[in-house]
Amino acid sequence: MEISTEREGTLLVARAGGRLDSINAREFDDALKAAISDSDQVLIMDLEKVSYVSSAGLRVILLTAKTLQQRSAKLLICSLAEPIREVFEISGFDKIIPIHANLVEAKASIG
Amino acid sequence: MLSLCLESRLEELQRLEAAVEDLGEREQWPPSLLYQVKLVLEEVIVNIVNYGYGERAGHKIDVQLISEPDALTIKIADDGRAFDPLSQAPTPDVDAKLEERPIGGLGVYLVQTLMDEAHYRREQDRNHLTLVKRRDG
Repeated sequence: MEISTEREGTLLVARAGGRLDSINAREFDDALKAAISDSDQVLIMDLEKVSYVSSAGLRVILLTAKTLQQRSAKLLICSLAEPIREVFEISGFDKIIPIHANLVEAKASIG
Repeated sequence: MLSLCLESRLEELQRLEAAVEDLGEREQWPPSLLYQVKLVLEEVIVNIVNYGYGERAGHKIDVQLISEPDALTIKIADDGRAFDPLSQAPTPDVDAKLEERPIGGLGVYLVQTLMDEAHYRREQDRNHLTLVKRRDG
Protein backbone atom coordinates (compact mmCIF):
# COMPACT_ATOMS: atom_id res chain seq x y z
CA MET A 1 0.00 0.00 0.00
CA GLU A 2 1.50 3.26 -1.12
CA ILE A 3 0.05 6.71 -1.05
CA SER A 4 1.56 9.73 -2.72
CA THR A 5 0.94 13.15 -1.31
CA GLU A 6 1.13 16.73 -2.41
CA ARG A 7 0.85 19.71 -0.08
CA GLU A 8 -0.35 23.18 -1.04
CA GLY A 9 -0.32 25.36 2.05
CA THR A 10 -2.78 23.79 4.47
CA LEU A 11 -4.26 21.50 1.82
CA LEU A 12 -2.97 17.95 1.58
CA VAL A 13 -3.87 15.78 -1.40
CA ALA A 14 -3.33 12.06 -0.79
CA ARG A 15 -3.57 9.65 -3.72
CA ALA A 16 -4.05 6.03 -2.80
CA GLY A 17 -3.82 3.10 -5.19
CA GLY A 18 -4.82 -0.55 -5.31
CA ARG A 19 -7.15 -2.08 -2.77
CA LEU A 20 -8.43 -0.87 0.57
CA ASP A 21 -9.42 -4.20 2.08
CA SER A 22 -9.03 -6.34 5.22
CA ILE A 23 -5.54 -7.36 4.24
CA ASN A 24 -4.03 -3.90 3.79
CA ALA A 25 -6.35 -1.56 5.74
CA ARG A 26 -3.83 -1.25 8.55
CA GLU A 27 -1.07 -0.28 6.12
CA PHE A 28 -3.39 2.30 4.55
CA ASP A 29 -4.13 3.72 8.00
CA ASP A 30 -0.43 3.88 8.90
CA ALA A 31 0.45 5.55 5.58
CA LEU A 32 -2.26 8.18 6.08
CA LYS A 33 -1.23 8.90 9.66
CA ALA A 34 2.37 9.31 8.55
CA ALA A 35 1.37 11.67 5.73
CA ILE A 36 -1.01 13.98 7.61
CA SER A 37 0.54 16.81 9.58
CA ASP A 38 -1.19 18.76 12.35
CA SER A 39 -1.18 21.92 10.25
CA ASP A 40 -3.22 20.37 7.41
CA GLN A 41 -6.69 21.92 7.36
CA VAL A 42 -8.13 19.99 4.41
CA LEU A 43 -7.29 16.48 3.27
CA ILE A 44 -8.46 15.47 -0.20
CA MET A 45 -8.31 11.70 -0.59
CA ASP A 46 -8.04 11.00 -4.30
CA LEU A 47 -9.21 7.42 -4.88
CA GLU A 48 -9.02 7.38 -8.67
CA LYS A 49 -6.44 4.59 -8.66
CA VAL A 50 -8.27 2.55 -6.03
CA SER A 51 -10.05 -0.45 -7.52
CA TYR A 52 -11.72 -1.90 -4.46
CA VAL A 53 -12.90 -0.76 -1.03
CA SER A 54 -14.45 -3.07 1.57
CA SER A 55 -15.74 -2.26 5.06
CA ALA A 56 -12.15 -2.46 6.35
CA GLY A 57 -11.20 0.42 4.04
CA LEU A 58 -14.35 2.35 4.98
CA ARG A 59 -13.38 1.99 8.62
CA VAL A 60 -10.03 3.71 8.02
CA ILE A 61 -11.70 6.49 6.03
CA LEU A 62 -14.26 7.09 8.80
CA LEU A 63 -11.55 7.11 11.47
CA THR A 64 -9.57 9.64 9.43
CA ALA A 65 -12.63 11.89 8.95
CA LYS A 66 -13.35 11.80 12.69
CA THR A 67 -9.77 12.52 13.66
CA LEU A 68 -9.65 15.52 11.33
CA GLN A 69 -13.01 16.80 12.53
CA GLN A 70 -11.86 16.76 16.14
CA ARG A 71 -9.35 19.45 15.31
CA SER A 72 -11.71 21.33 12.95
CA ALA A 73 -9.99 20.07 9.80
CA LYS A 74 -11.91 18.22 7.12
CA LEU A 75 -11.76 15.31 4.74
CA LEU A 76 -12.94 15.40 1.13
CA ILE A 77 -12.97 12.44 -1.22
CA CYS A 78 -12.80 12.46 -5.01
CA SER A 79 -12.71 10.26 -8.10
CA LEU A 80 -14.60 7.18 -6.92
CA ALA A 81 -15.16 4.33 -9.38
CA GLU A 82 -18.86 3.50 -9.73
CA PRO A 83 -18.99 0.30 -7.61
CA ILE A 84 -17.05 2.06 -4.85
CA ARG A 85 -19.40 5.03 -4.96
CA GLU A 86 -22.28 2.60 -4.46
CA VAL A 87 -20.60 1.17 -1.37
CA PHE A 88 -20.09 4.70 0.00
CA GLU A 89 -23.76 5.52 -0.60
CA ILE A 90 -25.07 2.33 1.02
CA SER A 91 -22.89 3.08 4.03
CA GLY A 92 -24.18 6.66 4.23
CA PHE A 93 -20.65 8.03 3.82
CA ASP A 94 -21.82 10.43 1.11
CA LYS A 95 -23.84 12.18 3.85
CA ILE A 96 -20.92 12.70 6.20
CA ILE A 97 -17.99 13.17 3.81
CA PRO A 98 -18.15 15.48 0.76
CA ILE A 99 -17.57 13.39 -2.36
CA HIS A 100 -16.49 15.04 -5.60
CA ALA A 101 -16.26 13.74 -9.16
CA ASN A 102 -12.62 14.71 -9.57
CA LEU A 103 -9.74 16.52 -7.93
CA VAL A 104 -10.44 19.81 -9.72
CA GLU A 105 -13.99 19.93 -8.36
CA ALA A 106 -12.84 18.93 -4.90
CA LYS A 107 -10.29 21.75 -4.85
CA ALA A 108 -12.83 24.24 -6.22
CA SER A 109 -15.24 23.37 -3.38
CA ILE A 110 -12.78 24.49 -0.72
CA GLY A 111 -13.06 28.11 -1.84
CA MET B 1 -20.07 -23.41 -10.25
CA LEU B 2 -17.17 -22.83 -7.96
CA SER B 3 -16.32 -24.85 -4.89
CA LEU B 4 -13.39 -24.03 -2.63
CA CYS B 5 -12.25 -25.10 0.79
CA LEU B 6 -10.41 -22.28 2.56
CA GLU B 7 -8.30 -22.31 5.67
CA SER B 8 -9.51 -19.91 8.36
CA ARG B 9 -7.02 -17.13 7.78
CA LEU B 10 -7.38 -13.84 5.94
CA GLU B 11 -4.65 -14.54 3.37
CA GLU B 12 -6.97 -17.13 1.84
CA LEU B 13 -9.11 -14.26 0.54
CA GLN B 14 -6.62 -13.76 -2.29
CA ARG B 15 -7.05 -17.32 -3.52
CA LEU B 16 -10.83 -17.02 -3.27
CA GLU B 17 -10.83 -13.74 -5.14
CA ALA B 18 -8.72 -15.14 -7.98
CA ALA B 19 -11.17 -18.03 -8.36
CA VAL B 20 -14.16 -15.66 -8.32
CA GLU B 21 -12.54 -13.47 -10.97
CA ASP B 22 -12.00 -16.52 -13.19
CA LEU B 23 -15.63 -17.50 -12.82
CA GLY B 24 -16.83 -13.97 -13.50
CA GLU B 25 -14.69 -13.75 -16.59
CA ARG B 26 -15.88 -17.10 -17.94
CA GLU B 27 -19.48 -16.10 -17.39
CA GLN B 28 -19.01 -12.49 -18.48
CA TRP B 29 -20.42 -10.94 -15.33
CA PRO B 30 -20.85 -7.17 -15.38
CA PRO B 31 -18.12 -5.41 -13.35
CA SER B 32 -20.64 -4.37 -10.67
CA LEU B 33 -21.66 -7.98 -9.99
CA LEU B 34 -18.04 -9.10 -9.76
CA TYR B 35 -17.29 -6.28 -7.31
CA GLN B 36 -20.31 -7.04 -5.16
CA VAL B 37 -19.56 -10.77 -4.99
CA LYS B 38 -15.92 -10.16 -4.02
CA LEU B 39 -16.97 -7.63 -1.38
CA VAL B 40 -19.65 -9.85 0.13
CA LEU B 41 -17.28 -12.83 0.32
CA GLU B 42 -14.60 -10.74 2.00
CA GLU B 43 -17.03 -9.40 4.60
CA VAL B 44 -18.42 -12.83 5.44
CA ILE B 45 -15.06 -14.62 5.56
CA VAL B 46 -13.50 -11.87 7.71
CA ASN B 47 -16.40 -12.24 10.14
CA ILE B 48 -15.97 -16.00 10.33
CA VAL B 49 -12.20 -15.81 10.81
CA ASN B 50 -12.36 -13.04 13.42
CA TYR B 51 -15.46 -14.04 15.40
CA GLY B 52 -16.22 -17.63 14.59
CA TYR B 53 -12.72 -18.87 15.28
CA GLY B 54 -11.35 -16.03 17.39
CA GLU B 55 -8.67 -15.59 14.70
CA ARG B 56 -7.41 -19.15 15.19
CA ALA B 57 -6.14 -20.69 11.98
CA GLY B 58 -6.44 -24.36 11.04
CA HIS B 59 -10.18 -24.56 10.50
CA LYS B 60 -11.90 -25.02 7.16
CA ILE B 61 -14.42 -22.77 5.48
CA ASP B 62 -16.34 -24.18 2.53
CA VAL B 63 -17.40 -21.72 -0.15
CA GLN B 64 -19.66 -22.54 -3.06
CA LEU B 65 -20.89 -20.29 -5.83
CA ILE B 66 -23.74 -21.65 -7.88
CA SER B 67 -24.31 -19.60 -10.97
CA GLU B 68 -27.62 -19.82 -12.78
CA PRO B 69 -28.99 -17.55 -15.50
CA ASP B 70 -31.37 -15.74 -13.17
CA ALA B 71 -29.48 -15.85 -9.87
CA LEU B 72 -26.16 -16.39 -8.23
CA THR B 73 -26.21 -18.37 -4.98
CA ILE B 74 -23.33 -18.18 -2.52
CA LYS B 75 -23.06 -20.81 0.21
CA ILE B 76 -20.56 -20.50 3.02
CA ALA B 77 -20.19 -23.13 5.75
CA ASP B 78 -17.83 -23.24 8.73
CA ASP B 79 -17.44 -25.16 11.98
CA GLY B 80 -16.75 -22.13 14.17
CA ARG B 81 -18.88 -21.31 17.19
CA ALA B 82 -22.56 -20.72 16.44
CA PHE B 83 -22.81 -17.24 15.03
CA ASP B 84 -25.61 -15.73 13.01
CA PRO B 85 -24.15 -12.56 11.51
CA LEU B 86 -27.53 -11.57 10.12
CA SER B 87 -29.31 -11.29 13.47
CA GLN B 88 -26.39 -10.39 15.71
CA ALA B 89 -24.99 -7.42 13.83
CA PRO B 90 -26.78 -4.15 14.59
CA THR B 91 -28.05 -2.12 11.64
CA PRO B 92 -25.91 1.01 11.46
CA ASP B 93 -27.56 4.42 11.49
CA VAL B 94 -26.42 5.57 8.07
CA ASP B 95 -28.09 8.96 8.61
CA ALA B 96 -26.10 9.81 11.74
CA LYS B 97 -23.74 12.76 11.77
CA LEU B 98 -20.00 12.19 11.42
CA GLU B 99 -19.29 12.64 15.12
CA GLU B 100 -22.05 10.17 15.99
CA ARG B 101 -21.15 7.44 13.54
CA PRO B 102 -19.61 4.46 15.35
CA ILE B 103 -16.53 2.83 13.85
CA GLY B 104 -17.27 -0.54 12.27
CA GLY B 105 -20.40 -2.60 11.85
CA LEU B 106 -20.72 -1.95 8.13
CA GLY B 107 -19.62 -5.33 6.76
CA VAL B 108 -22.76 -7.33 7.43
CA TYR B 109 -24.91 -4.36 6.49
CA LEU B 110 -23.22 -4.22 3.08
CA VAL B 111 -23.82 -7.94 2.63
CA GLN B 112 -27.52 -7.60 3.46
CA THR B 113 -27.96 -4.57 1.24
CA LEU B 114 -26.08 -5.88 -1.79
CA MET B 115 -27.65 -9.34 -1.75
CA ASP B 116 -31.32 -10.02 -2.48
CA GLU B 117 -31.62 -12.84 0.05
CA ALA B 118 -29.59 -13.89 3.08
CA HIS B 119 -30.32 -16.93 5.23
CA TYR B 120 -28.51 -18.44 8.18
CA ARG B 121 -28.90 -21.82 9.79
CA ARG B 122 -26.93 -23.86 12.31
CA GLU B 123 -26.88 -27.51 11.35
CA GLN B 124 -24.72 -30.39 12.60
CA ASP B 125 -22.43 -28.03 14.50
CA ARG B 126 -21.78 -25.92 11.43
CA ASN B 127 -22.83 -22.41 10.44
CA HIS B 128 -24.44 -22.22 7.02
CA LEU B 129 -24.92 -18.88 5.32
CA THR B 130 -26.73 -18.75 2.00
CA LEU B 131 -26.80 -15.56 -0.05
CA VAL B 132 -28.69 -15.01 -3.28
CA LYS B 133 -28.10 -12.29 -5.83
CA ARG B 134 -30.75 -12.15 -8.52
CA ARG B 135 -29.57 -11.23 -11.97
CA ASP B 136 -31.53 -8.91 -14.20
CA GLY B 137 -32.46 -10.12 -17.66
